Amino acid sequence: MPAPSRAEGETLNLLSWPGHGDAAVVKPFEDKYHVKVVAKEYVGGEAMLALINQSPPGSYDVVLADAEYVGMLRDGGFIEQLNPADYPFGDFWPEFQKFEGHWLDGKLYSVITRFGYLGLAYRTDMLSDDDVKSYKILWDPKVKGKVGFFDWYLPSMGCLSLYSGNKPPFDITDAAFAKLKQTLFLLKPESAGFYPMAAVFSSLTNGTTAVIPGVGDWVALLLAKNGVPVSATVPAEGGLQWTESLSICSSSLKKDLAKAFIQYMASPEGQVRTGRLPAYWASIPSKAGWQKMNAEFPADAKTLRHTFSERNVMDEYKEGKIFIRKTPVKQSIETWNEAWTEFKSL
Amino acid sequence: MATPARCLSMTASGRSKSAASLAFNLSWVTPPLLWQLLFFLVPLGFLVAVTFWSVRSFRLTPDFVLANWSHILTAGFFRSAYVYTFALAALTAVLASVVAFPAAYTMAFKVGPGSRRFLIFLLVVPFFTSYPVRIYSWQVVFSPFGIVNKLLGLMSLGPLNLLNTPWVTIVGYLTLALPLVILLQTFALANVDRTLVEAAKNLGCSPLRAVITVLIPAARVGLIVAAAFAFVLAFGDYISPLLLGGSKPPTLSVLLADQVKSGNHWPRAAVIAVVMVLTLMTILLIMLGVAYGQGRRRTS
Amino acid sequence: MTPAARKWLLRAHTAALFAFVFAPLVTIAVFSFNSDRFPSLPWGGFSLDWYRAVFADATIARGLANSICVAAATAIISTFLGFCAAYVDYRFRFTGKTAFMALMTLPPTIPVVILGLAMLTFEGRIGLTGTLSGVTAGHVVLSSPFALALVRLRLADLDPNLEAASWNLGAGRWSTMRDVIVPFCFPAIVAALFLTAAISFDEFMIAWFVSGLNETLPVRLLAMLQGQVSPRINAVGTMVFAVSIALVVLAQLVIGRRLRVRTAKIGR
Repeated sequence: MPAPSRAEGETLNLLSWPGHGDAAVVKPFEDKYHVKVVAKEYVGGEAMLALINQSPPGSYDVVLADAEYVGMLRDGGFIEQLNPADYPFGDFWPEFQKFEGHWLDGKLYSVITRFGYLGLAYRTDMLSDDDVKSYKILWDPKVKGKVGFFDWYLPSMGCLSLYSGNKPPFDITDAAFAKLKQTLFLLKPESAGFYPMAAVFSSLTNGTTAVIPGVGDWVALLLAKNGVPVSATVPAEGGLQWTESLSICSSSLKKDLAKAFIQYMASPEGQVRTGRLPAYWASIPSKAGWQKMNAEFPADAKTLRHTFSERNVMDEYKEGKIFIRKTPVKQSIETWNEAWTEFKSL
Repeated sequence: MATPARCLSMTASGRSKSAASLAFNLSWVTPPLLWQLLFFLVPLGFLVAVTFWSVRSFRLTPDFVLANWSHILTAGFFRSAYVYTFALAALTAVLASVVAFPAAYTMAFKVGPGSRRFLIFLLVVPFFTSYPVRIYSWQVVFSPFGIVNKLLGLMSLGPLNLLNTPWVTIVGYLTLALPLVILLQTFALANVDRTLVEAAKNLGCSPLRAVITVLIPAARVGLIVAAAFAFVLAFGDYISPLLLGGSKPPTLSVLLADQVKSGNHWPRAAVIAVVMVLTLMTILLIMLGVAYGQGRRRTS
Repeated sequence: MTPAARKWLLRAHTAALFAFVFAPLVTIAVFSFNSDRFPSLPWGGFSLDWYRAVFADATIARGLANSICVAAATAIISTFLGFCAAYVDYRFRFTGKTAFMALMTLPPTIPVVILGLAMLTFEGRIGLTGTLSGVTAGHVVLSSPFALALVRLRLADLDPNLEAASWNLGAGRWSTMRDVIVPFCFPAIVAALFLTAAISFDEFMIAWFVSGLNETLPVRLLAMLQGQVSPRINAVGTMVFAVSIALVVLAQLVIGRRLRVRTAKIGR
């Protein structure tokens, strides 16, 4: 009988996007409970599902997933139902207190901790604000050979779907999908390369890439803070919203510790820290977190557009240009993924 | 102490039939044999079996379907990746062999034994150290604001977009293969009978002609083995096409990793793996056949 | 072309090639002291911050500990198996020996991506994925051919009649092995220990597939290379390079004496 796999010592095993085990975020939690947070990193929702499917039960205590994958985790029996009373939803903005995707059949399975918008990230010294008002800039001769791609089909094709006029972008007919494929393939001559997450940052920094569709503040804010001339925007055709949320793994042997971790990440302290995660920044759903950030890091709050006095990310949300990112509805994930592989190989 | 009864007369190849010596012999053969069977042959065989399995909701399930094979073999992106990977690996093998030869020649014939030992040592070192990090450093060197472009800028030449091209991928492959190729070529050349070359020179051959008509054919086996290794390394590498080539286009190893990462498609990844192994086995057999075959013809 | 010009051209070419091989290593070491987070020229200023960050980073410490465990276990097991196979090749003739030797020397011809995938699928069924033992199993397969080569090279210099003479003089096979063969091979065994440790310490692909939560240091590096940009990579890379160099140097020093003899023979 294979023993459940886990790292040595008293640990909390977290399955997440890169960087979430960083001491800058988890140290107060580690100190309070005398544990270590060990993160296994993935890039892309499918990679997360692959990892959790191939790992022995009990490997992970908490999983950080994007909203569209929570349903699949539940269907696979990997996460368990949560009690809303345990978590500070009252602190959150009203739009996030009962966020679609995290509540399945009226039951809570995942607590939202971060979100962001996706549109275009671009170098401000190569493109002006006017240039990036539409996704059409991707075909502009100014950026020929300098259009980079984050190597994940979901956000990239989603934004292009918006450009093709599909609203909502993931629930499209087969005919519309065929047209989306065509549009996608037309981008091949413009492309610079297909990047894993780190290369998204470095290619914008070293100038190999001038613009990347399907990414947003999570790339731009960190680079801007380090002095690279990069910004992100949501073009007129619309943008996508991504969310990250935490769930307790049903095979975990430390469910109380897992619950404490999620409570910490949803608390104002955890929220402020995760918003400014060293690996990539994000917007946070907790209003109490916003207040704490404005008090302790006003400059960062301004950069994140989390201030109460000026136009902030909640205002952008209300404008209606943001569509929630979902996995494809009428076609299979495989179909979209294959189109992406074909695109890379052209 | 041994008694006369235990003094068995044996040939040097140990074909004694006593039970004790059989136990002795077996205890040397069994450990490596068992390990290789269990952790090398069986996993590879299992991989072939997995090509017929299927994936249901991200889980690998035993099955017997031909769908994985037909899907991959008919996919346009697989065929173009195959051609691209093969072409790039062949180019690497040729380039590495040609570029390494003068250095191997120098090391085998033109330096003293102390320097030779030092140079060999210098080559063995990078072979085992941090290949992904070395490739990452090439990224920095070739980037638009990197060293190469800065030097070009000093000569008033425009910044070249060097990254995410097949050429810089080949630089990565050479980084991987050159140390080994230089070493193997050096050993091959060093083991050639010196008198052959000297005889050629005495008969009036120019040094270059002596090299081409006498030295290279004499060292043929080692030179071809070196090229074969360069091909194998380049054909299977994952890091260079990913980090330097920008997966543009992806090679077979990148496709393989993609299939594993997105959707747990191990059967399809296994198909790609089996095709790669078959290709490499075939190429190796051909190359070794050429190396040894012609040699036999010559001496007969 | 005069012989002198030819000689200098050859030397220049060789120097250029060595520079190419070492350029990445030098660049990494240099940039590990650059204070910029996103590495690119111009130089941002000298800083030890990244080394400090590396020492404070718990994931890197864990990865290092795992790498050391796996490298030590791999060195011992693969040197033992390599010795066995080398001795078999040296001492015995039997039907199927070619097949046996082919099996022993085949692993380096299979790309590590494929070995990694095969290990993942197979070990997944027997429950070894995510364990350091699973990683060690794969590393042993990969590095025992190198141990085999080193020991075999050494054994080639041992007169086979010595062993038979020892048997005929009354020493048992096991005591001959213990008192004659092993001591003779000792330098090669030590070198093999260091070399296989270096191979395992640096191996990233099999470990990436199999290690799961117990990541080794190269897997951590690869995850960082793909996941976040941080010059910690340069600092860790420089340190890994230093450790691997040390292991390979030790191996070289131990067999250095015998290389000196061999190359002197070649030079004559």
